[in-house]
Amino acid sequence: MTVLETERLTKQFGGLTAVDEVDLAIEQGEGVSLIGPNGAGKSTFINLVTRRLDPSYGEILFKGDSIVGMEPHQVVQLGMSKSFQTASIFPELTVEENAVIAALAAEHGSFRFNFFRHENAYPEVTRVADEVLKSVGLYDERESQADSLDYGNKRRLEIGIALAAEPDMLLMDEPTAGMSPEETKSTVELIKEVKRELDLTFLLVEHDMEIVFDISDRIVVLNRGAVIAEGTPEEVQNDPAVQEAYLGGVEE
Amino acid sequence: MTLLADILTLLLNGLQQGAIYVLLAVGLSIILGTLKFVNFAHGALYLVGAYLGLFITTEVPLTNGQLAEWGIQSYGIGLGFIAALVIVPIVVFVIGLLMEKFVAQAFYSRPDTDQILVTFGLAIIVQETLRAMLGGNSQPFQQPSWASGPIALPIIGNFPRWRLGVIAITAVLVLGVYLLVEYTDFGLIVQAGTLDGEMVRLLGIKLSRPYLVVFGIGAALAGVAGVVGGPLANVNPNIGTEQLVPAFLTVVIGGVGKIEGAVVAGLMLGTLQVALIQTGNAAWSQVGIYALAAVILLVRPQGLLGSEVDVS
Amino acid sequence: MSDEPRDATATATADAENEVSGGLADQWASFRDREISTVLLTLVAVAVFPFLFNNYLDGYTQLATLMLIYGIFAIGFDILLGYTGLLSFGHAVFFGGAAYAAGIFSASVSSSPLLVLLAGLVFAVLMAWIVGFLSLRRGGIYFAILTLTFGQMSFYLAASPLAFLTNGENGFTSVDIGHLLGVVDLHGGVPFPLSMLVDNMVYVFVAVITVLSVAMANRILHSPYGTVFRAIRENESRAEFVGLNVWRYKLMAFIISAAFAGIAGSLFAIEGSYVPLESLYWTESGRIVIMTVLGGVGSLFGPLFGAGLYLYIENIVSGFPTLGPFWHLILGLVFVVMVVLFPDGIWGGVQYVRSRLFGGEES
Repeated sequence: MTVLETERLTKQFGGLTAVDEVDLAIEQGEGVSLIGPNGAGKSTFINLVTRRLDPSYGEILFKGDSIVGMEPHQVVQLGMSKSFQTASIFPELTVEENAVIAALAAEHGSFRFNFFRHENAYPEVTRVADEVLKSVGLYDERESQADSLDYGNKRRLEIGIALAAEPDMLLMDEPTAGMSPEETKSTVELIKEVKRELDLTFLLVEHDMEIVFDISDRIVVLNRGAVIAEGTPEEVQNDPAVQEAYLGGVEE
Repeated sequence: MTLLADILTLLLNGLQQGAIYVLLAVGLSIILGTLKFVNFAHGALYLVGAYLGLFITTEVPLTNGQLAEWGIQSYGIGLGFIAALVIVPIVVFVIGLLMEKFVAQAFYSRPDTDQILVTFGLAIIVQETLRAMLGGNSQPFQQPSWASGPIALPIIGNFPRWRLGVIAITAVLVLGVYLLVEYTDFGLIVQAGTLDGEMVRLLGIKLSRPYLVVFGIGAALAGVAGVVGGPLANVNPNIGTEQLVPAFLTVVIGGVGKIEGAVVAGLMLGTLQVALIQTGNAAWSQVGIYALAAVILLVRPQGLLGSEVDVS
Repeated sequence: MSDEPRDATATATADAENEVSGGLADQWASFRDREISTVLLTLVAVAVFPFLFNNYLDGYTQLATLMLIYGIFAIGFDILLGYTGLLSFGHAVFFGGAAYAAGIFSASVSSSPLLVLLAGLVFAVLMAWIVGFLSLRRGGIYFAILTLTFGQMSFYLAASPLAFLTNGENGFTSVDIGHLLGVVDLHGGVPFPLSMLVDNMVYVFVAVITVLSVAMANRILHSPYGTVFRAIRENESRAEFVGLNVWRYKLMAFIISAAFAGIAGSLFAIEGSYVPLESLYWTESGRIVIMTVLGGVGSLFGPLFGAGLYLYIENIVSGFPTLGPFWHLILGLVFVVMVVLFPDGIWGGVQYVRSRLFGGEES
């Protein structure tokens, strides 16, 4: 089954075309990475797919249905989660409360009229929250304020929040940015693990080529908003157009 | 003949009414646009301008307030209106610099909500200090003698000379700021900072100095507004907060950071208000400007001349 | 003492350390206890307050009543400002609007105090739905300015075009309050056992509503809404991207806070049998901002405390021979110091000192 599909997806800012007629299809269970030099349109593409930005034209299908015109929370409720570029958590709440918020959205949907029900009337929310924390290895930290976690753990919490909804697909915008080598390694292991266990489909935007080649089934290369190459890590690595546009300058 | 005269009178009165909004809004707008700082104390600068103007222009008898109780019978140095028009902006400019340095800077990185709260508090302090010291009663602010009385205009007939003066002073000042922002290096930095402060900083341009100056200019305009607006009505400690609300509306209707926008919006509000009064709907004149503002903001949230990019 | 839901969650989860299933029952029980203890504590506090206030703080019962009324207003406002992080400069619409609605209702429909209260409440909620729907489309300063705009618009509407309803600048004077449930004269005396504590029936009525309001606010803050509101305050975009309809939750926060303002406004009309036009002016909106921030945003009892302090300075300190003339200035200074140095307000400071002294958890 095709989870995410874009057809001629385009975004123009004034005279600049940031995303240029991109056709992309991601199958169930596939791990796809989106790479490209700075300003290639990767972030804009992610923002279009998560409905942060409206496309100039083109179509976005999620599990076969168009999501153009939907609000971000509706897309999340359909099963597409997002992990942010910076550790986007609720800093002054406890780790547990961070997970509870995600669990509330997962269990209760985007909105419920229940402001006179005590939160303890919802044990399933606590159960989901605890499961999430266990799955990202933060259960023992659940009473700490989220702010006090180190950066690596904040990122893990962030990924946990994104996974609480048991999404069909996870979008990750540079999940290891700003991490130490050890933290990066453990995050990569975490991604591999959830992919294996949940049969998770993901779309990853990443600068670190080692990670990209390590965990992707398929790589899509953007340059100036357009797809210039697409294929397995080996194919992309050997593609002359890619080397020209991108790897040639940056390869280490 | 009379219809044309009525319309022209309406426009001139609207210009004059809007002029004060424009003077306040231009300063507020460049501060908000460039520094991303929400200044709820802008009305207090207007208030300071008005009282300072009064102080410089004439000698005002003190009837109540602490100073009177301490036996001081009057304040003022009686240098006349022109002196006020020159000195007030300089003083309020310096007040603006101090405000930027000691208040605003600490709040650039804090949420809008905190900026609003702290400047709101400052406004209360200024207003209540004046009230406690000089008393809460209204002081008449005389129009300068050379500009009082009517002037005969073609078609319209007699028109208060001072109102024309207000329009002229506003036009000169706003044009000056506009030219400064559009055509100088300083203005270029300010404009670039409005669009993307981060990028300007990356280019190695220090923004602290221009920021200071922007705040000072914005403040000085509010001070002048107090001096020219004072003689149109009486001066009392409440006039600052009373002017703040329409000034903010002018900014957001025109589009944050847009001088032209502030001019258009201020004139729209002024003309609407005057039109409602002249057509015998004075009861609706205040409601009208708020309703117009609400409609415009709902239809075009970024303001009339604001750009789409500012919204996100 | 009870406050700060996050403390509660943390301690309760800590208690229920071992098995999740067995611990849940205990957890729930301990929460019930806490809710009841909060209500009982409030009840005791409002019962002894007038006696202490009148005898030791130069107070009088009418001012104590006003303190509770504004306390209800501030508790609701804090749900919006402290918990959800939205600064409204137009809450006078709901306070003053409800006062007018209650007053007009009492004069022309029914003078039953409970129905009058309900009328003001319903009016405030409806207004909040409209104003919130329109103002929440934009965040940050636009929200503050739009609420301010709608506030001023309603002030000028009441002042002149609607003067046939509101009696314009003179304020609404025809408030007519009947007996509570047909028996209790609200403006009459108090029967024996109660009269040892308080001398005025309106106070009793307002105090009962205050306790109910605290219980409601406490429950709302411990419902899923409490957590969602704080999530929106902390990171709105993240809340949207976990799949929460942030916009509708913000609208609910706005309406809930206006409901409290509506209760307070109705009580204000009932208490004074008069609605001044100033109750709609934006300085009234500013007052509630100051009260809430002074007392401490993000806590249940802070705003109640802030409201009391504000009114105390306004009405009692203003009579002091030396400080008196400067009362408003003093408030402004204290307010600015609070915003700059103690964003958690006086209540937050008290909590901090207490946790330092008694080794309680800091959070």
